[in-house]
Amino acid sequence: MMRVWAPPFLLAILLCALSAGMPILEPLYEWVQPDKQQVIYERDSFLFLLQNHITLVLISACIGTITAVAGGIFATRPAGRDFLPLVSQIASIGQTFPPVAVLALAVPVLGFGEAPILVALILYGLLPILRNTLAGLQGVDPTVKEAALGMGMSPLRVLLQVELPLAGRVILAGIRTSVTINIATAAIGSTVGARTLGDPVIAGLVNGNTAYVLQGAILIGLLALTVDSLFEAAE
Amino acid sequence: MSIARPKSALSSPNRVVPVLGLLALVLVWVLDLGAILPNRIVPGTGHGLLSAVGWVGATLVTGALIGCLLLSVLPLRSRYLTLLILVSVSLALLPLLLDVFAARHLPENSPYARSSIGSGFWCLLFLLSLMLIEIFGRLGSGRGFQLIVLAGICGSWVWLFQGAGLESLSLVREFNAQPDKFEQALWTHLALALGAVTISAGLAFVLALQMIRSVAWRRPVLGVVSFLQTIPSLAVFGLLIAPLSALTEAFPVLQTLGIRGIGWAPAMLALVAYSLLPMVRNTYVALTEVPESLADAGRGMGMNERQLFFKLKLPLALPVIVEGVRITTIQAIGLTAVAALIGAGGFGSFIFQGLGQAAMDLVLLGALPTIALALLADALLTTLAVSLRPKSATV
Amino acid sequence: MIELKNVTRRFGQAVAVDSINLTIETGEVCVLVGSSGCGKSTTLRMINRLLPHSAGEILVDGEDITTMNPEKLRLNMGYVIQGTGLFPHWTVARNIAMVPALLKWPQARIDERVHELLTLLDLDPAIHAGKFPQQLSGGQAQRVGVARALAANPNILLMDEPFGALDAITRENLQQELLRIQQQVRKTTVFVTHDIDEALKLATRIAVMDQGRIIQHDTPENILRRPASEFVENLVGKQDRGLKLMSLRRVGDLMQRYPQPVNPEPGVEGVQEDDSLRLALSVMLWQENGELPVFNGEGAKTGVITRERILQAGA
Repeated sequence: MMRVWAPPFLLAILLCALSAGMPILEPLYEWVQPDKQQVIYERDSFLFLLQNHITLVLISACIGTITAVAGGIFATRPAGRDFLPLVSQIASIGQTFPPVAVLALAVPVLGFGEAPILVALILYGLLPILRNTLAGLQGVDPTVKEAALGMGMSPLRVLLQVELPLAGRVILAGIRTSVTINIATAAIGSTVGARTLGDPVIAGLVNGNTAYVLQGAILIGLLALTVDSLFEAAE
Repeated sequence: MSIARPKSALSSPNRVVPVLGLLALVLVWVLDLGAILPNRIVPGTGHGLLSAVGWVGATLVTGALIGCLLLSVLPLRSRYLTLLILVSVSLALLPLLLDVFAARHLPENSPYARSSIGSGFWCLLFLLSLMLIEIFGRLGSGRGFQLIVLAGICGSWVWLFQGAGLESLSLVREFNAQPDKFEQALWTHLALALGAVTISAGLAFVLALQMIRSVAWRRPVLGVVSFLQTIPSLAVFGLLIAPLSALTEAFPVLQTLGIRGIGWAPAMLALVAYSLLPMVRNTYVALTEVPESLADAGRGMGMNERQLFFKLKLPLALPVIVEGVRITTIQAIGLTAVAALIGAGGFGSFIFQGLGQAAMDLVLLGALPTIALALLADALLTTLAVSLRPKSATV
Repeated sequence: MIELKNVTRRFGQAVAVDSINLTIETGEVCVLVGSSGCGKSTTLRMINRLLPHSAGEILVDGEDITTMNPEKLRLNMGYVIQGTGLFPHWTVARNIAMVPALLKWPQARIDERVHELLTLLDLDPAIHAGKFPQQLSGGQAQRVGVARALAANPNILLMDEPFGALDAITRENLQQELLRIQQQVRKTTVFVTHDIDEALKLATRIAVMDQGRIIQHDTPENILRRPASEFVENLVGKQDRGLKLMSLRRVGDLMQRYPQPVNPEPGVEGVQEDDSLRLALSVMLWQENGELPVFNGEGAKTGVITRERILQAGA
């Protein structure tokens, strides 16, 4: 049990330590970028950026999961069956859209700042969850459902006690995919005004300061690895 | 995915199209169809449906939507065919709305004034497209037919956009300002994305063969490529800058080849790295999918390993490999757009330039072609994959 | 008691069940038999309202099922299907406990019942209660399926080709189990099968169905002796009937009994009182002997059975 949760735990500690204590590595960065005065990104603290980044991804993951799972459940019920073909098609076509394009499209509609990012993250992030919810629910053995109904379970109970638990694995995999993509998209979100771990990278690219870029990149990479190993442990 | 539809269902009303149609009706009346901008930077004044296209236009649009509603509810013999004609014609002629809008409202003497597409138009476009998808699904038409209809609609749009009426559209203005840059961005984008896919396809093939030959390679290879995939692209691009700059400083000869810390070199490297996971996984699965019993049957009849490979394993593996190429290509097109941040060019440069200048239609000029490229690649490669499937699967 | 009055089921234009009338007495095993598509499964699933009937009335113990809450109706009916439908994410014990848990029985009572049923179906609770369905063999899984159906002690048992997916030996074992259980608990059972031998073995009465209609509803013996139509005749096997009839009757009914049981001669093979006449004939043929000793449960010889008596009884 400890073995399983050790990697994410250790990674998380490393992530927080580095966010809080990046200045410790100043000499390293000076070596990388000898020609700049300031080598540690200072406009916002790394901890703040990390926190913001995680908050954005977390909110969009929660809203996205609720919407996608609800939509998936609706489309697989008798009442919503008419909508199933369209919903399936949307879920698969939507994944062809590059995330950065979806993010960019949100700006003309919603302006700059956190709002377009959140909307783009939610809309784009719910697609893999929706696809996996549909696949998971449709993959439940029909004889099991028939037996449950035939024995006297109400349709609601069948959904809660049979279908969702059996589809749970697949849905979780969808959430994992969604969160991984969203971490990457949120990083790019700094170009539209959200304050995330992508800020030092963008600032570094604009000013030609490789040290900044490195700092941002390392933290983003660490965050992604931590979250991924968390999901790995949960499975 | 096909769903069996008994003949009797054709007479039962469709519930999806009315919902979409009703939503479109509400949104197109509530939201702005377009806006007039006095110049590139200042946000303009929005115009609702009635103001934008007048009574005639508004009636046509409302009429078309109500037509869709009625057609899906009334019991008709060829309901879906009629709906298809109505919706596809509406989609094809949609830019005319913008044409009329510009003609009515564009101020006469301002060379900088321009029109811009409003959220009402976008919603109408989106919902009509959803209706089209639903109708295609219900008709059960073949891919060829669907592609023809789509090509017709796109052709109509291209033709309309070349006309003088839409010249004042902000989007068109941005394009006209730098048509060469647009073309260059197109080629750069394609070169990067397709180049990365090709290189990773070759690498993946080699790796997959190696993984088949020796078990010890399997987990490490898969582990490394999955690891690469988890790290967000921006981070990878960023991480490659420092070592590549150091490398090119140490070996100036590389600079003459155009390799630098930023630009196409780190972009290509990262793109190949990202493309490896889907390609390696798909190629490996494709080549190992053939059950040993089939292979044994072939051997028993006298085929040698080489014949077995080319006549049995490869044809069966091809559809799965093409599917892997499809996923990888779509991913690469999206990542190339991000690579614009490190100077690689491509459509992403329009997106980020636009964001930097707060010029929304420049952003659109970058985002829309990226999406179009991805959808095009998807359509082409899916058709290819379907045509490569063994014919017996359709019995 | 279950009554079907003029029950019809339509799928669009097609008629799956055509105005059938059927009465199933309390405690009887009614087997619906027929080839694929004859409407037997459809009929079964109308009884527990998994399918609504298009016309007619279905009464369970005098009450119209359309007036009852469907879940309440089904909680009082055990339902066993081909492929078991056991929940793969629940243990065997939890699967069996499903309906009692829905009925909110106290946990102690549930545990006791699970234990009782596993033992009844010849599965050691200590070994099997904690297993998952995937870990069971086909026969074991179906036993659990039957246990689950019996758990809340329903008045009615509905079984839809429950043994169809099993190999011949397991199938026979389970059929024997069912007969044994039925002797103990006497549940009103509706059993669907396409296998006429299974029907003959298990049924109190058989309803032969074809194209949505009941062709004949009668005891197994009458179906064999007086088939209502050529279809039924072909179904039971025109020329096989004689032997099939023999398998319905016991040696004990036709033997010549001694006043007292006697000790058997060593090394002589015979038949048991409970064995079928068909088995006795088979042994006679094998031994090339027209007369066989008959033994009772304790191994004592209680009489003889002769070939002539058997052949006479066939008429």
